[in-house]
Order: sequence, then structure tokens, then C-alpha cells
Amino acid sequence: MRLAIPGPAARGAGGDETGPSAAARAAHLGGRTARFAARLGRKSSVAGLALYALGLGAVLGLASADWATSGGYPFGGVQIGAWTAWPRAGAANADPYTRAVNARRGEVPLAVGEGLLLTAAADDAGRTLDAACTYRIGGAMPSARAWTLTVAGRGARDPDRPIVREGFTSTEILREPDGRFAVLLSPEVQTGNWLPSPRASGPLRLAIRLYDTPAAASVGALDRAAVPSITPIGCAS
Amino acid sequence: MRLRFAYATLVGLVVAGIVHIAAVLAIPVLSDADAASRARASESLEHPQTVYTVATGDDPSPPEAWLPIPDPAVAVGVCAYDLADGPMRVSARTGPLALSLAAHGRRGAFYAVTDQAAVRGALDLVILTRAQYDEALAEDDENEPSRDVRIVAPEGRGFVVVRVLAGLPSQRPAANAAVQAVSCTTDSPADEPPAKGAKR
Repeated sequence: MRLAIPGPAARGAGGDETGPSAAARAAHLGGRTARFAARLGRKSSVAGLALYALGLGAVLGLASADWATSGGYPFGGVQIGAWTAWPRAGAANADPYTRAVNARRGEVPLAVGEGLLLTAAADDAGRTLDAACTYRIGGAMPSARAWTLTVAGRGARDPDRPIVREGFTSTEILREPDGRFAVLLSPEVQTGNWLPSPRASGPLRLAIRLYDTPAAASVGALDRAAVPSITPIGCAS
Repeated sequence: MRLRFAYATLVGLVVAGIVHIAAVLAIPVLSDADAASRARASESLEHPQTVYTVATGDDPSPPEAWLPIPDPAVAVGVCAYDLADGPMRVSARTGPLALSLAAHGRRGAFYAVTDQAAVRGALDLVILTRAQYDEALAEDDENEPSRDVRIVAPEGRGFVVVRVLAGLPSQRPAANAAVQAVSCTTDSPADEPPAKGAKR
């Protein structure tokens, strides 16, 4: 810092360190923070600096804690193709961030012996799921006693749109003869397993919940072929 | 002077790190919107408090649902327990629908069991403290082993989550009813031994 700006630094360090000229230079160089600092320095008040340090710590600490625990789980997910599995979301040894997120949302996560949650917010190519587009979600599912595939938008649901269907269960889905299936997530009516978009536009999130599954204990063994692929088919203009 | 300011900023950043960690750790303890606090209301009930009722026919899910993104095909209920009053007994009859019970403490779920573990159509989950567990073991009749699934809870308070999956829309009323049909009772230590004596 001193090497980069030799003039005012040398003068400040040399003699009149609390002088008004030093304050002016600081303002010129560093804007408001520096002026604030210089004022603190001029008063050479240790209490002021301590107050500044504590204030900075409190504001930054609380803001970063709020940012890290609002919304989804910050970490603990296992990426499998387009999907992210959350095997430890409900476990007793979940990380503190996951527990804080659960506490703030009032979430009751699936326990390890109960099931496994997988979420997807982007398609196989990594593009965010858009409610205006049509997607084909198909392929295989990890072995489970039952599963549900649901779609949700961000925020509250559009009150004007009738709730036709929010998801499919493994029992009610129409399958190919080989047991595979394809769900069409689309704003327009489709043949077969049509999952209507919950809103006209905006990002979407898909969730798979596997119930009573051995996969919860060995998420690392799942690969891309074991979960459904999400392929975009086209977008309404 | 500028050095002192830089030093103060550095201290501020360190304080920020400490505040961040403390806040994240304190959120589950202080939160009054988390599942454990909200489930507390069900402590006096004999059956699960409804958390999420699946929509049936034209009836949408009632607004009492507080799960942020619920599974629309799964009915959810909770039973809170306080082991200071005695062990908690959760009894479920298995039916055609998949049912699971998960015991949660403050730190997360410590046990889960599904209806596939049921013995002759009945699933009895008993949550107790270590002392209550030892007592129950000592009272066990050797000739008639207990069919209860006994779980030692890591802490005195928590809740049990009941989930029933409706695979088809026509099964949804049955799923809601199945959650309500589970009984959550406290095995009060005072009246339990006489009841057992009368039975055997």
C-alpha cells in the first residue's frame, strides 16, 4: 500500500499523521471508507477503531450467515448427471449449514432409512429449466419401493392456473414395455405422461423422492444411467 | 494510522468469521419456525398432528401445511415427545399404503423404519432414554419377547414423523386417514407394570 502510493503515505508516516491534509488525501484516494478511517485515525481513538472492527464483524458475519442458510443446502449434495442427491439432509450427522437451513425453513427432511431426495434445476446440458420450454424426463430410476417426481416453481403458485398435476408417482406413471418411462414437462398438453409447468415463465425445479431405497446408503454408486435424463425438446417463443 | 485501520479491518474480518460460525450454529437452537418447535403443539395429542394433508378430489391441501416444498403424494404427520413424561410409543397398523416412521431429535433424524419391518401387521416403535431402555429390558418376560422396536433417543425431546405415500390419486383419502390412525402415546411409568401384570 505504501509502495503503491508513496506521496501521502510517506507524509502521513513522516510527521503530522493526524493532520487535515492527510485526511484530505485519504478521501481523495480511498473514498468514504478511507475518510471514515482517517477521521477515526485523527481522533486516534482506540475505542472508535474497536467499534469499527466489532461493527464490521457483526454486519459481515450475520449477513454471510443469512446468505449461506437462506435458500437451498449450501453443500452436502452429490451430483449425478443433471440431478443432485442430498443423502445427508436429514441425518443426525448433517453439517451445521444443512441443519440451519432445515431449521429456518421448517423442513422435515427424509431420513437415511426413509428415502432419498434428488433435485434438478438445470437440464443435462446445464441450462436452467425454463417453464416456457418442453423437456423430456426419461430413463431409469434407482431401485426404490416407490418414487415421486414433482415439479415446483420458485415462490408462490400462480392462482390463475388450475392445478392439474404436480407430479407423478411410480404407481401411476405409464411405462414402456421394458419398464422405462418418459415424462414430458411442458406448458402445452402432451400425450403420455404430461407434467404441466406450474407457471407460465421463470425457472423450475424438479425433485425426485425415492422412498425406501437402498440407494440412500450408497449414493456414490449411482451413475448418470441410473437417474432420468432431462432433455430439452423445444421452447415456446 | 492507516496500519491501525488495516489492523482493525483484519480484526473485524476475524470477528465476522466468529459471528458467522456462531450464528449458523445458533440458528437451529434459537429458531422457533423449525420442525421441532412447530411439532411441540402435538405433544398432548394421542395421534399425529397433521403437517401435510394430500389434496383429495377438488379439495386442495389445507393451508396448515408448513413444509416448504412438500411431496404432493405423501401425507405427513408429526408426534412430538418429551421423554421426561415416559417412553413414547408409536403404534401403526400396516395397510396397503407404504408407511414410514422417522424419529428426529434436534440434530436430525436418528432412526427411521418402514412398514416392511412390521411384525404381523403391527409396527410398534418405542422411543426411550437409556435409563428407560434398561428398565424395559429388565422387565422383559423371557418367554414372551417384546415385539417393540426400541430406540434410545440421543436427547429427551424430539418428534416422530409419519409419512404415508398415496401411489394413486384414489388412495389419497386413505393416506390422510392412515396418518391419523397412527397412535402416539406416552407409556407412563406409573401405570405400565400393573397393566402388564393384568395381561399376563
